Parts: sequence; structure tokens; C-alpha cells
Amino acid sequence: MRLAQISFWGFAAVASAAGIQIRDLDGRLLSLFHPDGKVNLLFFVSSDCPISNSYAPEIQRLCRAYESSGVSCSLLYEDAGITVSAVRKHIAEYRYGGIPAAIDQKRLMSKAAGVSVTPEAVAVDAQGQIRYRGRIDNFYAAFGKSRQQVTEHDLSDAVDAVLAGKPVINPETKALGCYIVDPDILHK
Amino acid sequence: MTKKLLLVSISAPMLLSAADKITFTENIAPIVYQNCVTCHRPGEAAPFSLISYEDVKKRGTLIATVTKAKYMPPWHAAHGYGEFAEERRLSDEQIAAIGEWVKQGMPEGDPKKMPKLPEFADGWHLGKPDLILEMPVSYELPASGSDVFRNFTIPLNLKEDKWVRAVEFRPSARKAAHHALFAYVQSGSTARLEGLDGKPGFGGMGTVGVTPGQNNSGGLGGWAVGGIPVFLPEGLAMPLPKGSDFLLQMHFHPTGKPEMEKSLIGLYFADKPPERRMIGIGAPGLFGFGSGIDIQPGEKNYTIRDSFTIPADVKAYAAVAHAHYLARDMKATATLPDGSTKPLIWIPDWDFNWQETYNYKQPFDLPKGTRIDVSIAYDNSTDNPRNPSNPPKRVLFGEESFDEMGAVAIMVTAANKADEAVLQKAVADQAQEAIKRGLADGTAKRYLEHQAQRGAPRVPASRQQQITLLDRQGRTVASVGEPGLYSQAALSPDGSRVAVVRTDPRTSNSDVWVFEVTTGKGTAITADPEANTCPVWSPDGRELAYVSIQGAENVVYRKPADGSRGPELLYRHPAGAVILTDWSRDGFLTFWSGKATYALAVDGDRKPVALFNESHSVRGARFSPDGRFIAYNSDESGKLQAYVGTLHRTGGTLSAEKGPLVSAGVDTAAGGLFWPSNGKELFFLAIQPEQTMMSVDISTGSGFAAGAPRRLFKLANPMLAPAQLSSIATPDGERFVFLAPAAAR
Repeated sequence: MRLAQISFWGFAAVASAAGIQIRDLDGRLLSLFHPDGKVNLLFFVSSDCPISNSYAPEIQRLCRAYESSGVSCSLLYEDAGITVSAVRKHIAEYRYGGIPAAIDQKRLMSKAAGVSVTPEAVAVDAQGQIRYRGRIDNFYAAFGKSRQQVTEHDLSDAVDAVLAGKPVINPETKALGCYIVDPDILHK
Repeated sequence: MTKKLLLVSISAPMLLSAADKITFTENIAPIVYQNCVTCHRPGEAAPFSLISYEDVKKRGTLIATVTKAKYMPPWHAAHGYGEFAEERRLSDEQIAAIGEWVKQGMPEGDPKKMPKLPEFADGWHLGKPDLILEMPVSYELPASGSDVFRNFTIPLNLKEDKWVRAVEFRPSARKAAHHALFAYVQSGSTARLEGLDGKPGFGGMGTVGVTPGQNNSGGLGGWAVGGIPVFLPEGLAMPLPKGSDFLLQMHFHPTGKPEMEKSLIGLYFADKPPERRMIGIGAPGLFGFGSGIDIQPGEKNYTIRDSFTIPADVKAYAAVAHAHYLARDMKATATLPDGSTKPLIWIPDWDFNWQETYNYKQPFDLPKGTRIDVSIAYDNSTDNPRNPSNPPKRVLFGEESFDEMGAVAIMVTAANKADEAVLQKAVADQAQEAIKRGLADGTAKRYLEHQAQRGAPRVPASRQQQITLLDRQGRTVASVGEPGLYSQAALSPDGSRVAVVRTDPRTSNSDVWVFEVTTGKGTAITADPEANTCPVWSPDGRELAYVSIQGAENVVYRKPADGSRGPELLYRHPAGAVILTDWSRDGFLTFWSGKATYALAVDGDRKPVALFNESHSVRGARFSPDGRFIAYNSDESGKLQAYVGTLHRTGGTLSAEKGPLVSAGVDTAAGGLFWPSNGKELFFLAIQPEQTMMSVDISTGSGFAAGAPRRLFKLANPMLAPAQLSSIATPDGERFVFLAPAAAR
């Protein structure tokens, strides 16, 4: 496993992330942190978190908007103990079809990415480095307090910067949502 | 002996901490069962159940966080400022216990000590209603966008006047329905508004049922998520005259997926007319129409104050408050004739989403001459996350979400029947005075001017784009249509029209549109709740093929480009995104999905065939005008580059053979592949290090040969996410379509 040193404009973290792979629902290997010449967006979601669910259309819009710019998307389900069929049902209900999805059963992906809630987004650049981590936008100011108008598009600002070869101005923001829990919590 | 000692030494500290040990069954479950499971159980409004130990343990940190923040259980009146029935509130000790339990690792404790789950009535909470109303047709709530306020009229067909003791409301979209207001209106009076936008009901958040000075309409109470229906106190009822329709105003939060609403409403009638009428008294009159509301942008604490002196002895039952998004703090206090004060209600962090009726635990008397003082503070700065405008705008009185209003009312009955008329006259006088002041200070005029429908788009104007035509030097030669959220622009084969994906900023839903280049006239080719993307033109310019994302499936359709006929289904892709990029002169569509590029015979068997036998990703394919070659992007070098392969036809099928790199010297090339009709040139888009439109000279006489790439023009930053995959240029290669940031113009 290769240690990737991530240090971008005040945002420093060490992640042993590059070698981690996960299989999507169809058994295909997803290498989320490998340098592959593309920008990868990882969306950490859960099926029964209302904040996570309310972002489904926006996540789909972002993935469509950036598809042609060499940006790919993955969904990582962080529900404790969720089944493949429950995820498939959720994908159909929330119209996530077309975005590769995996169940992060052991929390390896969320740990490697350093995320703690759903929904939370991570942008991995073509070199496999994490360039952004945090909220998608600032629609929610606090629990139960949504904005009438989104004023910060943190994730798309970050992706735009990465695509333009520029530094990401806000590489880390605080995501608001449901906490990702230890997969063993139910068995402790 | 040694063993025994050891046991003692270990168990002693455990015994010491046992007093503080908090377990689920003994300490936490009683709190959760009493305060949370009314909503947090299957089939109810809350997002997840909190019934079993596992349910609660999974959410422990979240529960500790939201109870500490007092977001849950939801209750917005300040504790102690008026005593209310059914107050949803945890004590400080209960909140601390939850936090401590989470800190201690959420132990279960003795399963035998688990309390019994409260019993919940199945079906109607108040028993079988006297009349059950159902919305005549379902309303489909979009998956996303701003909150929706929707009014539905339900015919009553009453044969006689009725008196309503309770209204029980059962929404079907439980996760999306947030609150509802009920009223009666004169039958047929809303018919002109119904279905104007092609959907059941009508929009708007006007104050339902309030028609000042008219007796043919009136309020019938409301419902908010988590609320339990109750009967009015004995001897009270709300009038419901025959010849009325029931009017339901619902407030929805989009949930991320479309939801269907078909509410059921149970009405409970009184046997006889009530002895007393419930009358709302408070301030300011007419929701502040006469208060001269005019809030400058940035104003953090704009306060209106008004009073109402009660002209008769009354009994108070409940408090209600109403304002829009800028209101922060609402307070009503009674000053009795003897100078003593009585708190009526204080909502220190007003949330428009929670418009409840706050019933007093114990109704109380207020003597004649009591003054009700109301103050409402508004925050029109950026510190108020609910501010509908960013940057903040001047806000005046009005009914729309961008406007403000506000009032606090106390629901009372007259102590003496004869005083009802006195109370009603005082309320009417207060309204007349408000109208007089509103006319004098210009509020009435501005109010009428502001009736024009405005919305709160999720994506602000700064993110909008303008369809722009550029020449070979990158100069803007035309702007087409109005600014909007666009992607995937494609020029028609004759260059007269642009097909584009347009996203509705309110719903994030995408549809295919066609714009006329000369007139800028836009027509929606698709208009359905699915996301429609990737328009490609047929070679004759008469049709469009596009992809509709339906659940897990991506479905390819064709449709006349003037929208004159319905869509024809061409192909259903079971899983994965389908990106259509071209339609060949001999009738093949090409698309990519995953790493592979496919061809689909439009008039053939419509089974996709993989074009390349390649392990690398191949995408963005475009047919040469003579049909002999195919340009595409591939990552075989490790980065996306442009290549040209050779096409082969055997029988009715098409296959492709990979060919030479044509984007030599360019770091990364993606999209923008286009063959002008003379076949002597090929365009491609370099995206690294700069977004640049490139041209390569082509000769095909004795096999394929390409020259060195030439730079045509650099795209102005930040013309990102170009999604330029289909026909980005006119056949003469003189005009290019791009989506420029609208603000930069």
C-alpha cells in the first residue's frame, strides 16, 4: 500500500489510500484513489438519512455536468448493515442509475477519505490525491435550517479549480448530515 | 482466598460507577418512547425508526447532537413563556443523560427492564370521522428544489351548515409533508386557479381562507408534522357553511425523490351549533399590512411593534404566529388592567417550517382592557441562513416568500356571548385601520406591484450560462436564447438550431431544448420528471435522439426536433450511464457506457454492438462525413487523447479498428471532436493545460493521414464542464457553440 502525501494549500493529511479498492454492486473493482488521469468524485451517502437523500438530484446533476470533462462519480453507501438489494432499491427510487455504487461495509473508503458524515463529498485528482473533502454546498446551515438559496458551491468550485489546474481555495469544509458509524456497532 | 480478594478489588470501582451508569433499557428507552417514537416509527413522518436498541444505538451520536442542539424533538416556543399542552421538549437532565450514555459506549443494560412500546392508534387517531375527504387526484412533488406550497380544493357538497370540532389530517407523502392549513371557501371560487400549470391544485403561500370583510370563507386550523389532532374544548366548534369547498394548503420539503400526495382529511362535526365562537385577536392587524414593513438589506434587527386592547372579558385557548423567512423573534405579552403581565408566547428562533397552533395547557381568563403587545424582529442580513435573497434585498410587505409579513394571534372566546360582536367589531376595525395606513404609506400600491411571481432558484444567476456561438478565432458572434443552466450543446446539421440540455434551477431536473439561432426562440422537446440528456441530431436535422434516465436504466429515445410527435423508444440500457455522441448518415447512433463505445442501428435490430475491441476506455466517438473513419477519445496513453480509427461494415453491423493519435503534443484532449463536411479537417478540444479548440488537417486519399494539431482559439476561463461531445460546430467549420458563463458577458 502506497502512502500518499496530501498537502494542498493548508490542507494536510496523510492517507494510505492509494491502494484501496472496493467492488461495486456488480462486482467491478473501483480504484477510488489511484492516479488514473481523471478526477474522481466520491459521494458518501446513506439510504435513510434525509439530508443525504435530499442531495440525490444535486449529486446526479453534478455528475452529469462534469461527465464530459473527464470526471467520474462513485456512490459509497455507509448504512450500517445495508444489503445489496436495499441499495439497488434505493438507487432506483432516487434515480442514481448510472453512477457506480458500492457498499462501504467495513468503512475502509470513508476512513481512507477521512469523511465522517453522509452526505459528504471527496474529490480525488488525476494523480490520486484528495483535493477536496466536505459538503456539496451550503444548502443546510444547520440541522433543520436549510437555506432558501445556496450561496457556496464548495464541491463544484473545487472541481472547477482542479480541472483548470488551479489550487482549490477551500479544500476542506464541514459536512452536515448523519454520522457514519462503526460497522461493528451492532455487534458490540 | 486470593481469588476472592481479586474479585473484590475489581468489583469495587465498578460498583462505585454503577450509580452513574446509564443503560438503554433503564434510562434511554423511556425518554425515546415518550418523546420520539410518535414520529420515529414505521410509516410515520420521521426518517428512521427509534424502537429497538439497535435503532437507537446506530443513531446514538446523531441523537446526542440534535437533542443537545434542541433541534429534536422539534419545539419552537420558549420554555416557560406560556404553558403549552403537548410541549415536545426534553429536560436538561434527559439531554445530559443521552449525551452521557453515548459517551459510555451506549450499553444496553438489562433487557428485562425494557419499557413497553406505547400503543399507537391505527388509522384515525380521533376515531371514525363524520366525513372523510380525499384529494380527488394525486399531486406529484418534484424530487428537489425549493419548498413547495400547494393549494388543493376538495368539494364538500354539504346539504346543511356544519360545525367542526376537529380536523384530522393524513398525508400520503409522509416524509415530504411538513405542514398544512385548512380553510373553507365559497364553492367554485378557486376554480380559475386550479391546474393553471398543468398539475393538480395551485401554487402560492397566501394566507389561506382569509378574505377580509367576507363571511364566505374562514380558517379551519392546521397540522404540522408531529402534531396530534385534538378536539376543540367542549362547546366550541368552527363554522363550515353549506356551499363551501374545503381548501387545503400544504407545505412540502422535497425529499430527493418524487413523492405522490393524496391526502385524507377526517372531519368531526358537533351535534349542534357551538355556544361560543373562537375568535383570533392579536397584532398587528392584517398581518402587518399597515405596519409599513420596509427592511433594508443587511438590517439585522428590524422590529415592528403593535398592540391590541381587548374590549371584553375573554378566555384564551391557544397562540398562533405567522411570518415568512426573515422573522427571527416573535413575542406576545399581555398586560392586564392591574398592570401585571402574563407571558403569551415567545418564539426566539422563528422557523417558517413550524407554523403550529400552541394550545395552552390550561385555558385562562383575560379581563376587558388587557393589552396584547406583539413584537416581531426580522433579520435581513446574510447571517440569516433562511434569507431567500443573496445578497439580501430590500424587503417589503407581501404574500410571497420574498416578502414579509407577521402577526401573533391569541385564540379566545368571549366570556359573555353578547360580547362576541364587540370582539369581532374590534378585529374588523383593526383591519380597517391597517388598510387605511397601508393605503397611505404606499404599501397597498407596492403590494400590487409585487404580486408578480418570483421564486428562489437553488442555483443563483452567477452560475448561469449563455449559449454562445464563436468564430474560428474564438470571438463571440452570437448569443442564443436566455441565460440558464445548460450543458451538452449541439448545433443542427444546417447550423440553424442548437439542441441543449437545460436544467430547471428549482428542481434540478433536466430536459432537452432546441433554440433557434436567429430568433433565440426556445422550445422544450422533453418535459417530464425524468432527467433527459445527450441530445444528438439526426443527419437530416429533423430528429433528435436523447437519453432519459429512468431509475437504474438509461433509455434512448428519438423524437422530431420540433416536438411534433411523441418519443419513440430505441433502446433500454440496463445499468450504467449512456452518453450519446453521434448519429451517422447511414443510421447508426453511437454512445459510450463505462469504458466501451457502442453502435446502435436506429432502423435495424436496435441491439448495441461494441465498436472497438479495446481494453482501454473509448469515448466521445464521432463519424467522419464519408462514414469511413471514426474519431474518438481514449486513455490508452494514460491520459485522454484524440484518435481516429477505421470503420468496417459487414452485413448490417459496424465495427471499428483503432487508429493513430491525432492530438500529438497536447496534454489531455477530451470531447469537441467534429468533422467539417469537406472531410479535410478534424476539430478536437484540448482540456489541459488550457481549454483550447484545436484543428488537425486530414487527408484520406490514400489511407488516413493527419497533420500536426493547430491551435484555433483558447476558451475564456472558466468555460468549464464543456460537455462538448456532439456536433459542436457548423458543417463549414466556421461556427462553434459553447456555453459561456452568463455573468461574464
